[in-house]
Amino acid sequence: MTLPRKKEAPARAPVPRPQANAMLSRVAHSLYWMSRYIERAENIARLLEVNLQFILDFRGYDDVHLKEHWGSILASSGDNELFEEHYGAADSRSVTEFFAFDLRNPNSILACVFAARENARMIRDQISIEMWETVNELYLFLKSRSTTDVWAAGPYEFFQDIKRNSHLFQGLTDSTYSRSEGWEFIQFGKFVERANKTARILDVKYHILLPNATDVGGALDTAQWQAVLRSASALEAYRRFYVREILPWKVAEFLIFSDSFPRSIHFCVAQVDEFLRRILAESGARPRTEAARASRRLLANLQSLSIDEVLRGGLHEFLVETGKTLDRISEEVVQTTMFYPAESTQEDQQLQQQQ
Amino acid sequence: MLISLLHRTTFVYAGTASDSFNEVRLTPVDDANQTCRSFELRIDPAAETREYVDFYANMVHYFDVTAEHSRLVVEAVSEVETRPNASRPPVPAVQPSELEASPERELNAEFLTGSHYVPLDVELWREAQDALGGGRSDVWSDVQRMCRHVYKNFAYKPRSTGVGTRATAALKLRSGVCQDFAHVALGLCRSCGIPARYVSGYFIKAQRQPDEEEASHAWIEAFVPGFGWAAFDPTHDRPADERYIKVASGRDYADIRPVSGTYRGGKTRSLSVEVRVREAEAADRAR
Amino acid sequence: MSLLSTPYDSGEFFDEMYATGGEVRPHYRLLAERLATLAVPEFERRRAAVDLAFLRRGVTFTVYNDAEGTERIFPFDLIPRIIPAREWSRLEAGLIQRITALNLFLHDLYHGQKIMKDKVVPASHILSAKHFRREFMNFSVPRDIYVHICGTDLIRDRDGSYLVLEDNLRCPSGVSYMIENRSAMRRAFPNLFQSYGVRPVEGYSDELLKALLHIAPDRSDKPSVVLLTPGVHNSAYFEHCFLARQMGIPIVEGRDLVVQDTSVHMRTTSGLLPVDVIYRRIDDDFLDPAVFRSDSMLGVPGLVAAYRAGRVALANSIGTGVADDKVIYAHIPKVIKYYLDQDPILPNVATYLASEPSDLKFILENMAGLVVKSANEAGGYGMLIGPASTKEEVADFRARVAANPRNFIAQDPIMLSRSPTWCENRFEGRHIDLRPYVLCGEKTVVTPGGLTRVALRKGSLVVNSSQGGGSKDTWVIEGAK
Repeated sequence: MTLPRKKEAPARAPVPRPQANAMLSRVAHSLYWMSRYIERAENIARLLEVNLQFILDFRGYDDVHLKEHWGSILASSGDNELFEEHYGAADSRSVTEFFAFDLRNPNSILACVFAARENARMIRDQISIEMWETVNELYLFLKSRSTTDVWAAGPYEFFQDIKRNSHLFQGLTDSTYSRSEGWEFIQFGKFVERANKTARILDVKYHILLPNATDVGGALDTAQWQAVLRSASALEAYRRFYVREILPWKVAEFLIFSDSFPRSIHFCVAQVDEFLRRILAESGARPRTEAARASRRLLANLQSLSIDEVLRGGLHEFLVETGKTLDRISEEVVQTTMFYPAESTQEDQQLQQQQ
Repeated sequence: MLISLLHRTTFVYAGTASDSFNEVRLTPVDDANQTCRSFELRIDPAAETREYVDFYANMVHYFDVTAEHSRLVVEAVSEVETRPNASRPPVPAVQPSELEASPERELNAEFLTGSHYVPLDVELWREAQDALGGGRSDVWSDVQRMCRHVYKNFAYKPRSTGVGTRATAALKLRSGVCQDFAHVALGLCRSCGIPARYVSGYFIKAQRQPDEEEASHAWIEAFVPGFGWAAFDPTHDRPADERYIKVASGRDYADIRPVSGTYRGGKTRSLSVEVRVREAEAADRAR
Repeated sequence: MSLLSTPYDSGEFFDEMYATGGEVRPHYRLLAERLATLAVPEFERRRAAVDLAFLRRGVTFTVYNDAEGTERIFPFDLIPRIIPAREWSRLEAGLIQRITALNLFLHDLYHGQKIMKDKVVPASHILSAKHFRREFMNFSVPRDIYVHICGTDLIRDRDGSYLVLEDNLRCPSGVSYMIENRSAMRRAFPNLFQSYGVRPVEGYSDELLKALLHIAPDRSDKPSVVLLTPGVHNSAYFEHCFLARQMGIPIVEGRDLVVQDTSVHMRTTSGLLPVDVIYRRIDDDFLDPAVFRSDSMLGVPGLVAAYRAGRVALANSIGTGVADDKVIYAHIPKVIKYYLDQDPILPNVATYLASEPSDLKFILENMAGLVVKSANEAGGYGMLIGPASTKEEVADFRARVAANPRNFIAQDPIMLSRSPTWCENRFEGRHIDLRPYVLCGEKTVVTPGGLTRVALRKGSLVVNSSQGGGSKDTWVIEGAK
């Protein structure tokens, strides 16, 4: 059963917020980043899990392909240089170590959960006890494990735990957090992150794992596309929507344009746009801010372009541009509403000695 | 004498500064020995200044520059008329015992205890004993003797000390600039129970080299019962007379900082101060 | 076996509940009757329920001495301290008199300094006080109120007379425990509560908000009030959140505020919103890096300038700490006489000043029998209880006093009163004190009761939370004054 088509929310008049309920920029900042980091951690977990499984399943992988495979995963996160600095060959263990536990990697699961917890701690009186306890327990759980433990027990269990905790957190947020301004920042952060991640997952396969003419449609190619879908938890949804055949351009179409699948770029951007307009009090027909303009245009593209048009213009370029737009939009919202000075000390004016 | 003053402080920052909150103590005082005829403070970038009078009766101007800027200029221009030497009353000879008995004794406690730049370490006390050699005489003579001791035994050496150098460090180095000479002299006076305070201001040089760098100057004032605060300059071994313009006083440098404050941003790349002290022209006098 | 089966020894101390003959004091009779009907297991059950409730609600404080800086529940004892109406009236009058005089004193110190010029209080004591803020000289404050929130610590000596132990005029804390304790008692002994007729304390936050609104600059009819906290790492952070929530005001940190053109604003998602009154729980030193400590990351640059320009009001004001300096404390009876021409209703504990040569000699010679305190530390630190200390500790403290006499005072040890406290499985007497809270707004209001702190360790006189103390609910009985 497909999810119902999301309706456009009616435009809202800007509600003047009374002083007592004014949300501090710092609090909004923490809610936003807490949400983004949890989403990020979950996405990394899913990515790692799928690809580890893939390698186990596909015994026809030779060394070259293996290296290429892991290389593509590293490229998708943009951290390949960092990996090369500290590790030798890219294999299952080293990549798992890098992505799960290495604190030197700001995009490792541990680093993300750590950051999420720090942000949650700073606004502890704003979130429910259950939300805090979930983040805290995830953090303690991660701290108590190492790659060796994970390998011994089987990585599958480990990634399940991460995903489960993330879902628990999101569920608790859904049921215990008031639909107030804070909610808007949490959702905005989550969907910006998710849209970004989906674009990257798709881009990796298309951009890096370009098959030779002979490989197209072959077993390896198909398996790789399957893995891409799995990385976005989209395999079943894809199959319900399309025929059983996994065709590259259909996968791309699904992950970019579906307006009902919650991890597709279109779906996420629709949410981003909705929450952005609430946050910036953009209720008019014409957007006032750059961010709202960019978001509106991006959404319009996702609503109207066809996959053929995108492929003709270059999928990679489209995905990179989408990612950049999302970054610009989120940066502007952060600067406008969530800005507060980092912990910088005041400098003393230099004093002059009296001669 | 009628004297015109310029004191311009320029901060250049590495990068930019913002959220800059500052206080300046640059206004010459009005007292028995001088009258401030005019004072103007200009800030660049432009900023509204407000004022208040602090604990030591110094006039303080304060302002902020919140927007980003890469340099800050604080310029004070004033004209001061100092009382001619001939009309200044002489400082009487008063016995140290009268300090104990003076009605102001309690309130002067402020200027008898240790302060940030002048902690009353035993070394200062010993130096004071050296300076007073034979023993105590009257308060003013003792003050002059101790100041003279500093003048004779300490070398005037710019860059041997810094703006943060305390009296105890300068004492060990036996060198410094007027700020240090004043701090040491304060240490000596206070060790002997003579209330003394730090004075910041300017003095006009009789002979000035064309390109000579001028700067703000420091000296001390000591309390003489029955008379009040009597000023002496240990850097030049002479009482402060009509050539001296007083701006602010306090326990030590920390209380009179001409320009101070904080800002957000990178370190200061450079700080330059331009001071010009001139006798005003006769034509100016008419204005 | 009922609670009161085990005999109780009140010892040589004034006991709150039992008179010298062993009879229960009249205002405790109802309580005694109730306790006599309770079996120990039932009592323990109620105790456990109260502790669990505290844990759930997170009524905690952070212990600095603890290596990890852990959060702990402030231990609570179920036996309330009960004060009859007439006794309270006297305390209330004494506290109002004292805070009125202290506000006049502070105004004078930061303006004409007449009391110093008239030599009633030695100028040197004021000028050398750690918290005398020269930066605050000649400042005008709204309504001339310097101390808006005061917590004065009271003790009782052997014959039951109340004495003032010290004033807390900077950031007095503990109010949240007072309110939480009351909730706990209501749940544990609902019927007893009703039969006694205890005056409520829940109105504290309303009175506090009123006092804060009273000092708002005149320009707006809906002044915005915020609570400024150092943040999650502060030991009283729970209380900050608690009070902010009860008053319905935002809780902010230094970084959330910005001064523009001498007006204070709050950084919100809707832009900069003006702030009129700040209930600050940050010490003067960290309040404004442009004026006080420049390394402070907790403060707001330019805040003092905004305060000076009259664009924002602070509660409590800057520089109030000079009046709760332990050396200045010794002069307060004279202060009351000077400004109000009245004798103090509540006397001080007799105090010796190490800065006075005659007293210093006495102190150094008799240190083993005295309580010696550092003039400016809070929380029971920097204190020596001579009779309870070893020879080495006494010698060490003697050296410290000799090196810096201005910084120390000494008092004869007071036989603090005791109250029956549940210790493991029986009632035993434990030393207590009382911190009532005084609010100065349009009127001066004293919350009936306050925080009774109890030294839980046997024989200990130290009641502070950070050093093994606990608390009790304080009941002021309704009735004729």
